[in-house]
Amino acid sequence: MTDQHPALSLRGLAKRFDTKVAVAGVDLAVPTGSFYGLLGPNGAGKTTTLSMAVGLLRPDAGEARVLGYDVWADPVRAKSLLGVMPDGVRLFDRLSGAELLAYHGLLRGMDPAVVDQRAAELLDVLALSDAGRTLVVDYSAGMKKKIGLACALLHGPRLLVLDEPFEAVDPVSAALIRDILHRYVGGGGTVIFSSHVMEVVERLCSHVAILAEGRIKQVGTLAEVRGDRSLEDVFVEVVGGRTATGEELSWLSR
Amino acid sequence: MAVPVTVPERPARRVSPWHFVRLKLRVLGNNFRGQTWRVALFVLGLLFGLWFAAVGFFLLAAPGLAGESRYALMIAAFGGGVLTLGWLLLPLVFFGVDETLDPARFALLPLSRRTLVTGLLAAALVSVPALATAITAAGLVVTAGALGGWAAALAGALGVVLGLLVCLAGARAITSAFATMLRSRRVRDLAAVLLAVLAALLGPLQLLVLAAVRQTDWDRLDGVARVVGWTPFGAPWTAGVDVAEGRAGAAVVKLLIAVATLGVLLLWWSRSLESAMVGTASSGPARTPRGVAGGAVAQLFPRAVGWTRRDRFGALVARECRYWWRDARRRANLITVAVVGVFVPLMVNLGGPAFLSEGGAAFEQATADSSPALVSLTMIFVGALASVTLANQFGFDGSSYAANLVAGVPGRVELRARMAAFSIYVVPMLVVIAVALAVVLGRPEWLGVMGGALFAAYGCGLAINAFVSVLGAYSLPESSNPFAMNSGAGFTKGLLTLVSMVGSAVVAVPFVVAAALLGDVWLWLALPVGLAYGGGAALLGAYMAGDTLDHRQPELLAAVTPRR
Ligand SMILES: Nc1ncnc2c1ncn2[C@@H]1O[C@H](COP(=O)(O)OP(=O)(O)OP(=O)(O)O)[C@@H](O)[C@H]1O
Ligand SMILES: [Mg+2]
Repeated sequence: MTDQHPALSLRGLAKRFDTKVAVAGVDLAVPTGSFYGLLGPNGAGKTTTLSMAVGLLRPDAGEARVLGYDVWADPVRAKSLLGVMPDGVRLFDRLSGAELLAYHGLLRGMDPAVVDQRAAELLDVLALSDAGRTLVVDYSAGMKKKIGLACALLHGPRLLVLDEPFEAVDPVSAALIRDILHRYVGGGGTVIFSSHVMEVVERLCSHVAILAEGRIKQVGTLAEVRGDRSLEDVFVEVVGGRTATGEELSWLSR
Repeated sequence: MAVPVTVPERPARRVSPWHFVRLKLRVLGNNFRGQTWRVALFVLGLLFGLWFAAVGFFLLAAPGLAGESRYALMIAAFGGGVLTLGWLLLPLVFFGVDETLDPARFALLPLSRRTLVTGLLAAALVSVPALATAITAAGLVVTAGALGGWAAALAGALGVVLGLLVCLAGARAITSAFATMLRSRRVRDLAAVLLAVLAALLGPLQLLVLAAVRQTDWDRLDGVARVVGWTPFGAPWTAGVDVAEGRAGAAVVKLLIAVATLGVLLLWWSRSLESAMVGTASSGPARTPRGVAGGAVAQLFPRAVGWTRRDRFGALVARECRYWWRDARRRANLITVAVVGVFVPLMVNLGGPAFLSEGGAAFEQATADSSPALVSLTMIFVGALASVTLANQFGFDGSSYAANLVAGVPGRVELRARMAAFSIYVVPMLVVIAVALAVVLGRPEWLGVMGGALFAAYGCGLAINAFVSVLGAYSLPESSNPFAMNSGAGFTKGLLTLVSMVGSAVVAVPFVVAAALLGDVWLWLALPVGLAYGGGAALLGAYMAGDTLDHRQPELLAAVTPRR
């Protein structure tokens, strides 16, 4: 029955911190099977929006549904379909990579044997098995991103919500992650991720939304949004960028 | 193109301690922005501090106000000594140090070590405890002035300022030294033992105070006071009284002792500061776990929890167990429970003061004095104390709690698992304490009564702290120092601890009453009844608090996420 519903639908999501309106009413429908890119400048409200969509942050208004299940009214059903990699949140990093995966798997109610097998596979594919029993605190930034991704994938979710998955990841790993996500979408999964990297979004996404100042400024399939220009041009135009004139910061060159 | 290398010019303006003070005030102010309850807590803490300060002030000023020079030295030496010792031990054992200005944040700035240390010391002066200590110690200046005129008052003031600085520097030096040790793989366990020994010093200290109160042999005490006056603990505080009593030479030497102590402490602190600044990347014991062979799941479960099912509950228990051991902050807490839990019951039941003054003979007397009701009461204290460690259990996790939220862990399972994991460490400890006390008292037949009260209080404590941890959670700084606290959190912690300890004690009080009234039947009934009572309370607490937790998971996450 879940198939008539969009994988993720946000309606009128809004959040205000004290006086600062971080998200001012976001509507978004992420179709099942799509690869959705959420773009926006720093401070646009991407992290805030995604946090509200997955149940980490209580919205002031609006609703979020995962495959039809309300994240706030029916969290158990909604969350069981979700795989999440939040940004700016620590992992339980005093566990080793394998321990962390086992923890996540069992929390999701998976069978221990399946957890073992999938954890070994994920660690192998993401080139984390070499880290052995090193605690996750001592991983590099890129390795932390990768183990975070592994945790989100482990239970085979129907919808993946990733906040800046390509940040701090080396090109080889980035290519690997892209491949994994491609396979995942090809197999019927849905991905929504936030990013600043236009090339990645252009290469991967079927749909794009551009968020700025807490509002969706532009949304549609990649072709609709891009038209015949490059995505970067569209982004800069929508967001209203500026370029350095050469006058300011003259003290930087001696 | 080669970038021209310029010799860094001298900074246009020198960085003075005043900058650090202003920075601290600014950070404090910003923390309050839009957080009415924080302001309220701070004001409440300030009022408490001032109240204690006023009491202390009048105690220390009493000899001067009464014109009674006989006790002046004694009060200065003991009062000052207690202040210093408190500053050295309490941060380790309970309150932590205010790390509004985390030294690690200055790592990249071109500041000399000296500037940094004096700056941080100056900033440390801006805190409620420092203010309260200053006010209290001002009582000594009054005494010196009243007894010896302006010169004495001046010497006293100098001494008090030095004494306060020694306190602050000592607290910082000791906590950062221990933080370094707890982080290091090699000496970590040594550090744990040392910490235990230091915490154990609180016991004798209390004994001394009690003895001083009871002791009528003033001459002997006076002798002790004179000796304390020459140690770094008493030297700065007694200088004023010395001048008043005409020993100006002694006062000068004592001030020099204080200066030297301060110098050594600052040197020590700056050493460990450096390692703390470099070691920020990995906070906590970064030991590669030696391990069990086998799959991921087998690795997650420590041997002690091998019996749990391999499911959600089991995973939570296993992770919590790993964390109690691997997280330096949690470990420090466990050690404190162990030490205080052993010493307080011994002291109370052996009737400390009598024991100290009259030696062995009093021991017999004291063990005879003890009663089932009294041991029940002390056991209730121990049980409440052990469980209060969980009062901010989610704060330990910080933002990593998000993982449980995303996985949709039901509040009840979460809380039950946390109780179980903590109990795996604490229950054996409690049993040892009860048995040890029974043996020392020579009353093995009281073991049932003691165990009953202990587990009743512990179970009730778990229940109450489940609520406290869900409703009153606060964030801990993401610092490499397990003793670091956010400014003002010390008061919050004290308040929550008080609430939950009183709460647990009240709920367990029937056991004291039963022990007093029921007589011998109770010796047999207490243990089963206590286990059932405590276990039931804990389960009920997890059930009810779990419901509350289900309704405020995102709020809890926000509360424990450190603002960076
Ligand atoms: N806990 C908070 N308290 C106050 N303001 C916040 C909080 N979290 C976010 N904000 C504000 O909300 C706005 C949106 O932040 P958000 O983190 O969602 O941006 P973002 O799009 O993820 O940016 P980036 O690309 O830099 O990650 C920012 O202006 C930020 O200052
Ligand atoms: Mg973000």
